[in-house]
Order: sequence, then C-alpha cells, then structure tokens
Amino acid sequence: MPFRDADDVTTYIGGIFEAAFEDPELADKLRATGVVLQMRFHEPAADVVVDLINQSVHDSAEGLAVGATLAMSAETGNAYWQGKVNLPLAMAKGQVKVDGKVAGLLKLAPLSKRLYPTYVARLQADGRHDLVV
Amino acid sequence: MTTTTTRVTDLDFWARPFEEREEVFARLRAESPVSWHPPMEGGIMPSEREGIWIVTRHADIAEVSRDPERFCSGEGVQFEDVPDDLLEASHSFLAMDAPRHGLLRKLVSSAFTPRQVAKLEDQIRAQARAITDGLLEAGEGDFVDLVSRRLPMWTVYEMLGLDAAQQEHAAHLADRMVGFNDPAVIGDDEPGDVLNEALVGLLQIGLAFADERRSHPADDLMTNLVNAEVEGQRLSDDDIAAFFVLLSVAGNDTTRNTISLATHALGRHAEQKAWLAADFDTRIGTATEEFIRWATPVMTFRRTATRDTELAGQPIARGDWVGLMYASGNRDERVFDRPRELDLSRHPNPHQGFGGGGPHFCMGAFVAKMQIREITHQLLTRAPSLEVGEPVFQVGNFVRAVQQMPCRVR
Repeated sequence: MPFRDADDVTTYIGGIFEAAFEDPELADKLRATGVVLQMRFHEPAADVVVDLINQSVHDSAEGLAVGATLAMSAETGNAYWQGKVNLPLAMAKGQVKVDGKVAGLLKLAPLSKRLYPTYVARLQADGRHDLVV
Repeated sequence: MTTTTTRVTDLDFWARPFEEREEVFARLRAESPVSWHPPMEGGIMPSEREGIWIVTRHADIAEVSRDPERFCSGEGVQFEDVPDDLLEASHSFLAMDAPRHGLLRKLVSSAFTPRQVAKLEDQIRAQARAITDGLLEAGEGDFVDLVSRRLPMWTVYEMLGLDAAQQEHAAHLADRMVGFNDPAVIGDDEPGDVLNEALVGLLQIGLAFADERRSHPADDLMTNLVNAEVEGQRLSDDDIAAFFVLLSVAGNDTTRNTISLATHALGRHAEQKAWLAADFDTRIGTATEEFIRWATPVMTFRRTATRDTELAGQPIARGDWVGLMYASGNRDERVFDRPRELDLSRHPNPHQGFGGGGPHFCMGAFVAKMQIREITHQLLTRAPSLEVGEPVFQVGNFVRAVQQMPCRVR
C-alpha cells in the first residue's frame, strides 16, 4: 500500500490540484473544463473531490454537483497522476471505474499531462521516493 | 503564411458531396498546394492548435509519407486532438515511430504465416459465396447490410479466430469509434463518451480474447500474435488489445466502403462492368487498384513536423500539424490522366488509397484486395442484374463511409 492513510492520499493527490490552482494560466484552463471531479480511492479508502470551477479540493462530495467519478485503488491513482496509467486500458481491465461523463475527463486530459511533472517533483521534494513509479 | 477562404476543416465541408470537395481540392492543388486552415471542427476535446497545414498534391503527400523522420506519426494521425492514452490504446503502430513502429509491425507480420495466408484466401472465397447466396435470397435491401458490411467483418474476425457470437458486437463498436462525429451514429450522446465507450468495449474483447488464446491455442491469427517473437521481443496484452482495436477499425470500415463504392461505380458504368466481366481474371488486378483510387476509403491522415522544414516551398515549423488529403492526391491531374474518370484498365495506378507510401503503408492491403476480388467476382457472375441506388454517407473527414445504399437483384 503506497499511501499511509486517507490524509496522505488527500495531501498528495489533492495537492496536485492545489498547486495547479496557484498557476494562473493553468487555473483558468482548469476552470474552463467546468468539471467537478470525484476520485474514490480504496486501499486506503479516501475521497478526493476537486471542484475545478471554484478551484477547491474537498474530502467529500457533499453539496457538490459531481460531473464524473473515478474509482480506483490509491496505488493506481498514484501511478495515474504520474502519467503511468492508460485510462481506456485501465477501464477495460476494471482497474478504473468511471461514473458520469467521460467527455468531461477527456477535456481535462491535455491539462492532466501538465500536472504529472509537478506531482513527481513534489513527491521527490518531500522525500516520498516510495511513491515515485 | 498562406490562408484560404475555403476551410477544409469545417464539419460542413465534410458533409458535402465528394465531387464538391474535389472542386475545392482541385483549386488548392493549383493555387495553394500546402495551405493553412483552422483546427478541425468537432472532436472530443478542445484543440490547443492554431491550425493545420493541408497537403493536396500527390507528390507532396508522398514526400511527407516517405519521410517519417521529418514528419512523424507518434504525435497522432487524426485531424482532431485526441488524448495520448486514447491514441495509444486505439491506434497501435499506426501512431508510432521508429524503432517501436518497426518492431510491432514485424511482430504482427510474423503472425501472417504462409499457412495463415493460404487459409485466408479459401476463407474469403467461401465467405463471398455465402454472402452472395444471402443477397440472392433477400432479393433486395440495403447493400451495406447485406454485403459490404458483412465480408470485411467476417474476414477480419474469422482470420483472428474471434468467436462468431462476438463478431457483430465488435464490428458495431468499431463503427461507433469511427462515427463519433456523426449525429446519425451517436444520436444525443457526447462524442467523447461514444468514442471512449466503444474503445473500452473493444479493448475488453481484445484482452479477453488474447487471454483465451494463451490458455487455449488454436489455428488462428490471435494464437500467432500471442506467440509471436521477434528479436527476443513479444507483444504484451496491451499491445495486442490496441492492435485488435486498430484491426477492427482499419479492417472493417475501409474495405466495406470500397466494396460499396466499387459496386456503385460498376452500376453507373455499364461499359466498364462489361469490360471487366469479359475477362475477369486478367482484368481484376488493374480494376481493384482503380476501385481503391476511385473510392479513397481513407480520406485523410496527419503527421507532425519534427523540425523546421519546407514542403513545396512552404516553410513548416517544428511541431506543426500536416494533414494529408489522399482524396485529393487520388485526383491529382499531375499524376493521373483523366483523374475524374473511372478507368478499370488504368495502369500504372499509383493511387494513395493505402497511404502515400513509406513505413505506414497499409499492412492489410493484400487482404483488402483479396476481398474486393472475390466479392466482385461473385456479384458479377451470380448477380449480374444487381442494381444499387445512391449511397448515404457518414459525415466526417477520416473514412469515406457509406452508411446505406439500396439494392435490388432482378
């Protein structure tokens, strides 16, 4: 199990977006997708909900109009945000389950690519080499 | 920068008849053979591009196709932006560059053993006969449904060894993948949802099928694929699943539309039909090449410039997209005498129906030609009175897809 607990997941996966919202150009593009993305992780169980419109990260979807939900193990999630998981193949293998509009996720795809290096850099800066894949 | 008033990247342009589009291409070939257009309309995600170079002359299409170091495929081959992982999972070696492109192609080629190819010829002959039996029995209906859709689907999946019960579903998913921009195909669904759902469905079939053949080998192409080994390398399940998607799309749609359009052309050119029927075995070779030129089932592919360069005097910057208009190359008056006339005896016929040459030249060309030959033979000899109506085309820039075409055997 790569992450220690739910807080660890929220800190790092949620942190990807918190960092992205600090970048004005990226923040605008993320807002334009109009997506509220929920990531439901297991092992450990954790919810990371990213409201790209209001640029906030939550640990529950309560009160938010979720556009798409991605369900996967935290290990898959960790690899996904490092660009190491092929989404359609992972969906075909049942490693990632998607509820809601995949179209919204596709709008996010070109931006996600820009998030991978910052995530890896953060893990390295924090000495979390155990999470780098 | 050269701009044009006729945008060939509007969806509306691709809803026009082929002949009208050809008028535009003819003008571009004459006045602006490499021209700049805005990004392609439609698609599944917003384009981050300012535009695309459109290449319309045969020689320039060939130059781009044959120089993969200067114009690569690894950054995608469609006119629309597609997420990287979607590209990887659906295009296989079509959207790859050396050295991986060559390795995967070699691995797949090795699965086509002489024994498989010989078996394939017998299979196609029997399938074309059975399909013609069905047509004669039906007497009338939709030609696409009765004939042209059935043969490629049957050929490709039988060759692979896919269970008959799954063939129809897999072909349906392949259709959805190609038709994601056409309202007639997707209804009220979002293009991205349709594309992804169809892709995931095909990947699931491909993955399960590869797994099945690893544990239960049979005398088929999938067994050869899972066992293929070249230079100590093998295909992973992901590689095979992506190739299954590529084969499902490239193998189904292209030949289907060539068969529909070839049959339509024979129906409208009685003298050519009689000429071919009079000495079929000698004449089907040149006729098949002309059918492919005439139909141009794959109308476009795209490359990306790997460095600052020049094409037909037009500077192209590194990273620019370059769109190849095969439909235009196949009507280029610099190469073809009377390009707008169907001439089944045309020789030589350097059409770009299988691409413009180079390392991405269609690998299944020989299978497509076998199918065209066998079905045309069956139709000419057993249904000589076959009449077809006007085809209904799918809207899109990629495949020249005939959705329906009424037919009747008197």
